[in-house]
Amino acid sequence: MIIDSAVRLRTAGNWAQIKAWLAAWQRLGIGHAIVAPADAQATIANEEGNTQLARLMRRYPKQISGLAVANPWRGTEAVALLEKAFDNGLSGLYLCPPRQGFRLTESIVDPLLKVCHRRRKPVYSHTGTPICSEPLQLAELARRFPEITFIMGHGGYPDFWYDVAPALRQAPNLMLETSCQMAAVIQQALDAVGPDRILFGSGFPRSKPDFEIRKIQTMGLPAKTLTKIMAMNAMRCWGICL
Amino acid sequence: MKIIDAHTHLPGWSFGSQPRPIRELRREFEEQGLGGAWLFTTDGLVGESVKNNDILAKAVADHRDFFAPFCTVDPLCGAKAALRELDRAKHKLGMRGVKLHPWLQRFSMTNPAMEPIFKHAGKLGLPVLLHDGTPPYASSLQIAALAEKAPQTIIILGHAGLDDQYEDAILACRRHANIYLCLCSNSCGYVEEIIRRCPVQRLLFGSDGGFLPNLIALAIAKLRATDAPATVLRRIFHDNPLSLVPLPEHKLGRQRRQLFHR
Ligand SMILES: [Zn+2]
Repeated sequence: MIIDSAVRLRTAGNWAQIKAWLAAWQRLGIGHAIVAPADAQATIANEEGNTQLARLMRRYPKQISGLAVANPWRGTEAVALLEKAFDNGLSGLYLCPPRQGFRLTESIVDPLLKVCHRRRKPVYSHTGTPICSEPLQLAELARRFPEITFIMGHGGYPDFWYDVAPALRQAPNLMLETSCQMAAVIQQALDAVGPDRILFGSGFPRSKPDFEIRKIQTMGLPAKTLTKIMAMNAMRCWGICL
Repeated sequence: MKIIDAHTHLPGWSFGSQPRPIRELRREFEEQGLGGAWLFTTDGLVGESVKNNDILAKAVADHRDFFAPFCTVDPLCGAKAALRELDRAKHKLGMRGVKLHPWLQRFSMTNPAMEPIFKHAGKLGLPVLLHDGTPPYASSLQIAALAEKAPQTIIILGHAGLDDQYEDAILACRRHANIYLCLCSNSCGYVEEIIRRCPVQRLLFGSDGGFLPNLIALAIAKLRATDAPATVLRRIFHDNPLSLVPLPEHKLGRQRRQLFHR
């Protein structure tokens, strides 16, 4: 069974889209997916995104975990939004610095991270877009909040592939999500920090699950490593028990 | 259908790599599914472009049915030297195109040598493929701005804007008839969008093969994972690259060629 740690809604509130996903996931052996709100929801309509994901989780508890969004520029309002989203069962915080308009190194995000720390929720961040979401910027954040698990979304793809292993080495609480990134870079990460800190992600809709699964499966990894990357690490990271 | 890869590199000493026998490289490319490849230097992009043009030409001498070698030039040496090297590369070395990498070769598209290089390549009938998608030197629109001044030259955005600038690359391709996009390294969902929004006759398949292991097979799988119909994939994988740079073994039918050169 595969757990996909990187799915994003393409548009808000489309149940036909979800039904199509569930069918595709079944065909591909994806048993569970971590789903983040759509771009517009991450950026502006935070509450709409959180409500929608909470509803999806209630409807499909076996297949879907949802991530919460709260644009850090909303200050105390964002903190309240996040608390409420976690009350409603969402599994972690999704950050998209280029859309939300902040740099990972800006303290503006600290209040949200304090909530995540207190509520023991992981933080998934898009990475790869300079100047706001580079792998080493996320590693810097991970060092400042060593008790939070951070996930390096898309492994800094496209331009920061050479920073992936160095960033992972800097912070043991930083994990790599594999979507979009080249197989050779995922191998470098494996060589650098071992098999326990890498999570499979499809990156949908930016990438596609069938291709991303094939990418990992053709790396020639030992079965045990493959199981960790495709499912076990995600279960531990997101607290999924199936 | 034989797949032609419009973006591959000859491994050299740079980037922790080692030179490899061309026979071995060809076998590896063929095993991953290629029927031909445009081959660029790697070492020549970080220094000694002239010497590395010689190395590349010599390497592929017995494999011209499979490899179409592209030369590079160094704009920092000035327009005069660059144009001289273009002439030599075309006439003495039989190079089929030009590869430039603004950020590795540390020049801006506003370098005074660049406009003459673009125009001269066009005169020589050499398409120019550039790394793009990486600010501050290789933004898709920085390249497009210069392509506009050399409308007779075929300019290929070598990564279709990568994932951060694919929107810019789409706009550039739609605005300028001399701009082609090489679908190399864009994520699968973005490749789909590029194919949907750009003129199909100006799209090429590329993988960056030779730079890292196993890139080609995965790049092919990625294109096949899109929703593009087989007829469209055929043009991207095969017809379009061969119409720009014909390889001896892969003659297009006459009718097809006329279609492209209308
Ligand atoms: Zn390249």
